[in-house]
Amino acid sequence: MAYEENGALQSLLAARGVTRRDFLKWCGSTAALLGMAESFAPQIAAAVEGAVLQPQAPALWINGGACTGCTESMAQVDTPDVATIVLDLLSVNYFETIMMAQGEDAEAAKADLVAKGGYVCIYEGTVMTGFEGNALRVAGKPQVEELPEVFENAAAIVAVGSCAVDGGWVAANPNPAGGIGVLEFCKEHNIETPVVNLPTCPVNPEWVVAMVIDVLYLGALEDLSVLDLDEFNRPKGIFGQTIHDNCSRRGHFENGEFVTEFGSVEEAKGYCLYAVGCKGPQTFTNCPIVRWNGRASWCVESGAPCIGCGSANPLEAGGNWVDVNAPFLNRHRDIHVGDWVTQPTVVGAAVGAAAVAALAVHGVGMKAAGRMDGGAPYEEMKERDAKKGGGK
Amino acid sequence: MARTIVDPLTRIEGHMRVEVEVEDGIVSDAWVSGTLYRGMESVLKDRRPQDAFYVSQRICGVCPISHGHASTMAAEAAMGVQIPEGARLVRNIIEAAQFLHSHILWFYTLGALDYVDPVKALSANIADTYALAEAAGTRVADFGAVAKRLTAFVESGNLSIFTNGWFGHPEYAQDMPAELHLIAVAHYLEALEVQGDAAAIIGIMGGKFPHFMTSVNGGTTFVPTEQKLDDVLYRFTKVVDFVNTALIPDTLAIAPYYLPALGFGGGTGKFLSWGVFDKPSFKADERYLPNGVITSGLAVDNASTDNVVEWVDHSWYEDDNGGLNPAEGRTKALWTDYSTDDKYSWGKSVRYQTTAGSGTGEATEVGPLARMVVAYVKGVEPVVDLIDSTLAALGAPGQPEVLVSLLGRVAARNLEAAYIGGLSIDWLVELIGYIKGGDVEYFKAHDVVDGKGVGAWEAPRGSVAHFMDIQGGRIAGYQVVAPTTWDIAPRDADGVRGPMEEALIGTPVMDAEKPLNVVRVARSFDP
Repeated sequence: MAYEENGALQSLLAARGVTRRDFLKWCGSTAALLGMAESFAPQIAAAVEGAVLQPQAPALWINGGACTGCTESMAQVDTPDVATIVLDLLSVNYFETIMMAQGEDAEAAKADLVAKGGYVCIYEGTVMTGFEGNALRVAGKPQVEELPEVFENAAAIVAVGSCAVDGGWVAANPNPAGGIGVLEFCKEHNIETPVVNLPTCPVNPEWVVAMVIDVLYLGALEDLSVLDLDEFNRPKGIFGQTIHDNCSRRGHFENGEFVTEFGSVEEAKGYCLYAVGCKGPQTFTNCPIVRWNGRASWCVESGAPCIGCGSANPLEAGGNWVDVNAPFLNRHRDIHVGDWVTQPTVVGAAVGAAAVAALAVHGVGMKAAGRMDGGAPYEEMKERDAKKGGGK
Repeated sequence: MARTIVDPLTRIEGHMRVEVEVEDGIVSDAWVSGTLYRGMESVLKDRRPQDAFYVSQRICGVCPISHGHASTMAAEAAMGVQIPEGARLVRNIIEAAQFLHSHILWFYTLGALDYVDPVKALSANIADTYALAEAAGTRVADFGAVAKRLTAFVESGNLSIFTNGWFGHPEYAQDMPAELHLIAVAHYLEALEVQGDAAAIIGIMGGKFPHFMTSVNGGTTFVPTEQKLDDVLYRFTKVVDFVNTALIPDTLAIAPYYLPALGFGGGTGKFLSWGVFDKPSFKADERYLPNGVITSGLAVDNASTDNVVEWVDHSWYEDDNGGLNPAEGRTKALWTDYSTDDKYSWGKSVRYQTTAGSGTGEATEVGPLARMVVAYVKGVEPVVDLIDSTLAALGAPGQPEVLVSLLGRVAARNLEAAYIGGLSIDWLVELIGYIKGGDVEYFKAHDVVDGKGVGAWEAPRGSVAHFMDIQGGRIAGYQVVAPTTWDIAPRDADGVRGPMEEALIGTPVMDAEKPLNVVRVARSFDP
């Protein structure tokens, strides 16, 4: 949309029933998402307001070996009015799941933008290399044939969802379709376009909005350090703490109050799910803060132990969340913190003291809990971890 | 013969190619190709039965609830576990929220642009738009603001997701008033918000959507409280209101301009439903949308997963993967080349045998049309009433056979949403009553035992079945027959077309470069 006069944002907001106060509040929570103090809210507001006066920034949304869940998730963004404004600031000229065009006309829209370059490429799903790339064919050829140019010409790539980060469940053993993540594909093809990784399955839409603002309006394209990424190219503000750190059921953990069977009285009371296999202590996302579906709830609040769908390791094959965290409902003796694996030697009916100590050393910040009778069985050292020398 | 290719077919879940042969402006042959293989079955092998629920639902980001339920039902069947009454209601409610979410999303976000031209809406008179909305009994919006926003958008010349759309295509109903186009655009925007409410219901009861967490083997981890159910009821009320005041009246308002679509797009006229939404009996033929199969005329039989057979003559799998029931199924991919004369799809050709183990089987359509026809023939009263009144409104009273068409398939989906909308509120009120009475169970503790089980259920887009074989506490075999596998099936061992391929035959094509009716028929299956 062309917004030429001052106050364009205000009239846009008004047309959608969003008050200035709501908008600033939203900017504050976006600041928090980006790992900044809420006092940065006015800067974000200024950036968005400034952007309204600019032509829309071009973007492509590419679906790889995807279930379309990340697109679905984007439709569930909180405060849709304001977020839509932000997304309206993008011109998404190619987006298979929702675009009006089809066939050759859709491909032409993509080709035009790729030729121009300078767009943000949002990639959903796994990069499919199997069967010479024929595991995913688009427009009569393997998708991987066009990806080098699409990635190369992009100003930045946002890999949304665990599949795009490291192949996700598709790359889980035995990975029959040759699934890999975007970063690995770029490395194989010597593509140096910056990649921002946003794992979880699907991606949490609030993070995508935050990254779009970050990449486009807060100067990240000029200075990548603004993004403040960790070694896995994840924004530290989002993926710097474990679920356990911020869990609303954390108090029950400290008190030694655990759910040992689903549907129980303890479950109704909202006790800690660690004993039924919760992967919160080893999973680094801010789900408990941002929550899901317009902040309606999140996994643990619905009584379900975290399955660690945000575990992702784009640097090492086999680091996908399924291989790392399954069996999901068992407690693991071998515990992953990033690519570090340990197996405490002393495990009894209580939370293993060695595990607790190990987690504490690695900043997970777990405290010794009381005795736990019952609960899910412990999982012996998994084969893949044993091979990697876990338990040392 | 001239071939027309649409690849990628957009506005669907996943990746698909449609190829048609056009003779004298009519489709004379068709090939539909699923162009993505991920290998879910191989990934699940050797894992724990309780893990399949979490992983297998990731086949589809638009219908994960149904896949999750089919998976957990397969495990429960294999282990002989009966879920308690509280879990039945919780699962029905979550499933209903997904159906409503999906059907609203299909009609407005995915389907509407094939019938509604946003550019035509630009010339709408605002006062007339309000008058038309009132006359059509459909929801009023701030039509002036929508028109203004739309105008600014088009004038910017930066069309974003509308880039290269087939604006002004001659196959848009030429006599459909601009005001009706504007109403539809307004509801297109509103639907985005309403689908979010439907999804948030799953967020509350399932942890998140897409991909939910609570329907574990044995029941549900979600233990409802009055406060949470109040929140859910509030959201359901909003969603159901939108179905009744926008989705249904919009369908009835737009349909009269597309009556020729009652004359093509029908397909095989054979239908399958595993049934969905359990009653306390947990019997598939007694479900709110019952199990049933129709392979000739309007005679309905009980459908059994024993009668399913998959062929790979035209699919990229090893030849010995063909001719098997999924319980014995194998999935060994074999890429050759894309050739409509030989292999041309990653989808297997799934068929329903009228006698288990005998013959190539029938190309049965699955989805809302199949479910509604099965329920209609079985005399499910609310469905009979909905269909009969709609047929009368479309000028075809007493002629249910016209439903076997493009327009019928679109209408059936929306009528199903109306039926499920009413049911969902009933279940919620029932569940609220239960928790006030106390003593409701939500989970049945059980040991993992070996066995074989099938979970046969329905997703919004059609019949879904998961086949699980547990040996030594591990998954020894896992097969999924997804809804879209039925509808986009390639030719079978006898060279007989799949349901979507067959539905494309006879479709009028005015412009071979822009075959609007072809994409309408393909999308009507919500593939």
